[in-house]
Amino acid sequence: MRIYKQMKLPLHVRWELYPVKHEVGEKAEYGGSFMEEVNWWEKEKKSSLFNEIQYMIPEILFLRGLKKENPRLWNISFPFHFGFYLVIGTLVLLVLGAFSMVLGFPISPGRGIVNSLIYYLTILLGFLGLTLGTGGTASLFRRRLRDPELRNYSAFSDYLNLVFIFIFFHISLLAWLFHDHAFAGARAYIYSLLTFGGTPVGFAESRTFLGSLAIVLGSLLIAYIPLTHMSHMFMKYFLYHSVKWEDTPNRTGSKIEAAVLENLGLKPTWAAPHIGADGKKTWAEIATSGGKDKK
Amino acid sequence: MKAPALKPQDIAKRSDRLTRIRAEELAPLPPPYEDFNTKPLTELKEEKIANIEASLDGTVAIGIPKPKNREEEEKYLKAFLSGLRKLFEKENNWTFLQPLLLSMEHCAKCQTCSDACPVFEMSGRQEIYRPNFRSEVLRRIYRKYIKPFGKISAKLAGDIDLNWTTISRLAELAYRCTLCRRCASVCPIGVDNALITHEIRKLFSQELGIAPKEIHDKGTLQHLRVGSTTGMNPMAVKDSVDFIQEEMEEVTGYKVEIPWDKEGAEVLLLHNAGEILAWPENVGAFAIIFQAAGISWTLSSEELGYDVVNYGLWYDDVQMARVAVKHAEIARKLKVKKIIIGECGHAHKALTVIADRVLTGDLNIPRESALVLLDEIVGSGKLKLDPARNDFPVTLHDPCNVVRAMGIVEPQRRILRKIAPKFREMTPHGVDNYCCGGGSGFAIMSGYNFAEWRVLVSSRKKLLQILGAFRDEPLEVPKYVCAPCSNCKGSIRDILEYFRAKERSRIYYGGLVELIVNAMAEMKKPIIKFDEA
Repeated sequence: MRIYKQMKLPLHVRWELYPVKHEVGEKAEYGGSFMEEVNWWEKEKKSSLFNEIQYMIPEILFLRGLKKENPRLWNISFPFHFGFYLVIGTLVLLVLGAFSMVLGFPISPGRGIVNSLIYYLTILLGFLGLTLGTGGTASLFRRRLRDPELRNYSAFSDYLNLVFIFIFFHISLLAWLFHDHAFAGARAYIYSLLTFGGTPVGFAESRTFLGSLAIVLGSLLIAYIPLTHMSHMFMKYFLYHSVKWEDTPNRTGSKIEAAVLENLGLKPTWAAPHIGADGKKTWAEIATSGGKDKK
Repeated sequence: MKAPALKPQDIAKRSDRLTRIRAEELAPLPPPYEDFNTKPLTELKEEKIANIEASLDGTVAIGIPKPKNREEEEKYLKAFLSGLRKLFEKENNWTFLQPLLLSMEHCAKCQTCSDACPVFEMSGRQEIYRPNFRSEVLRRIYRKYIKPFGKISAKLAGDIDLNWTTISRLAELAYRCTLCRRCASVCPIGVDNALITHEIRKLFSQELGIAPKEIHDKGTLQHLRVGSTTGMNPMAVKDSVDFIQEEMEEVTGYKVEIPWDKEGAEVLLLHNAGEILAWPENVGAFAIIFQAAGISWTLSSEELGYDVVNYGLWYDDVQMARVAVKHAEIARKLKVKKIIIGECGHAHKALTVIADRVLTGDLNIPRESALVLLDEIVGSGKLKLDPARNDFPVTLHDPCNVVRAMGIVEPQRRILRKIAPKFREMTPHGVDNYCCGGGSGFAIMSGYNFAEWRVLVSSRKKLLQILGAFRDEPLEVPKYVCAPCSNCKGSIRDILEYFRAKERSRIYYGGLVELIVNAMAEMKKPIIKFDEA
């Protein structure tokens, strides 16, 4: 919903902030732009996907910006975020494993290289993810509670978010520790989703309270995150690509120009007298009115 | 003892003063400026502020009249909420709707932005200047009073009361940020608190007609009415530039002709008209360089054609668009190939970047920074240059609007490396630079004691940077701060004067073109002159 809403928004004016990482050569590093060149409009605008990816991967995976600007917070924020990524990775592996089982290839050690790899990687990623996530969330909660710089700006929902995530990580970790060392139960749950209620061959159903709770919490979390500011995990794409790095110049006859013309046809209703808007005049009419007689 | 830190909701609590600026809390200055470490902000006189909002921090940028009665207060509140609603409507705010929504909804309140803000740091970390303080106030009002189920979500996501105190302080607080966007550049998520500040300013201007008089009444309104924010009409400008033309020959011994309204010229040069009045040598230096390099160029004597400023950039999209359209119309009429923007940072951004999505068809005339053309001229060898003539320490100030907002970083440095043998960088510089403290209109705002607040707080970091760049030079050696932006020059002039840096450290300031002309072998006399030690 959030993503759809973003995509339907009108084109805005340029508001890029340098360095823009898809610039070419050294410009991406020192923050230069295509506007450093004489008659730039006569040249083709170059942009480097490689430079962009080179920046984005460490930013997404390791929160490079936060490490540089706020290392104290990074120490606890990184485990939290990386824990999340690992849990997402675990989920992907569980889905792969369940698919494999649907196709008749069970996931267990000694069942071929790929299946063994999925088996062991699921355990590794799952354990590390839940451990880092539990520790990171607890540390973030503690910091938000104790540091006045954070506490004075925090509301009930900020704590609630962290508590919710902590409970999910912690319950899942306990479920793994006491009942489901190989995530076989979790994989069986996904298998049952894929097969509309089926049970994997040879899987002795042993539903546990902790395992069920972890699944319920995880499902609720997936539904809850997009409703909160925590959606920055994926909305960051728009913050960077639609604003901070959005530097496409407006060329005559381009799609940008068409979008600008559409915007200029909108009818504002701003009430200050100097604007002279009445809900009937368009932006274009108001902008070209000169405003000479306005007060 | 420092008072407990304020919280965003405290903005609504009535009091004489929300925050006090104390000299002892400001960042300390090094020798020989320690005597200024005890210099307080001059108290506002009671009789001067009796009828205006002045309860924020001991200074006043706007001076909003207090409501006379309950009905008037209600009217203000209603208008504020109406304006806030419009900020989130595409008909009213297509210009910034997406960036605003993204920054309103995704802040993690990690406060990473705080340390990047020179106003927050230099003030001794006054809570109200924290970049996220005013944003959080707006977010809470938006959630509670505009979004569905606001009263319930306020209890969960942060409450705030809306009254006259809240909105009048918020309006003032929107003018304690220079919109330098350093905060946005360090935000790990990409949230832009400066943008939110910009939108608060717009709400007040576009819906309530409230803005500092220097940027609205004497700014964009006068610009559109008379032709220049300086108040100069076309005749006055021509007289002044004729005088500059004569003066240049006297100063440098080089005869220059300044062309007016030359149809079909390659380049229309647009100056900040403030240069004509305050720094005429800048206008003269441009003319000398263009003439010596054989550029086909012209100035315009049409209203607005001699003043490239666009104060709308800071507070009002409609005014911004009106001024930009006028500039483009003038260029179209003169049939020039491109507009070159002189040494004026905010005009660079307004006309080149922002107006890029306002100007269409034949109004979309190519626009380029003077720094880029100057780089080409200096690099081409068309000018005979003798760098030894600039044999004094030089440092470069990076205007935020040219560097961080446009990515024009290297051209000015390539020039300086060729003409200034003692050039050294400030720390930090380039896209990591610090604002001069005069950004977003501050340099021209001087009502009440605002100019003093600016030199003491918002420009303080720049002073420390300048002193740092020259720290290894003897005090008696003349030094030059190169600031290729009129507003930056204005605020650097003010800090150098206020802190007596010329007398104490022999620090001078000026533009880039003056340095180029000073290095030109053809000049019989130097254009840059230092007083005797």
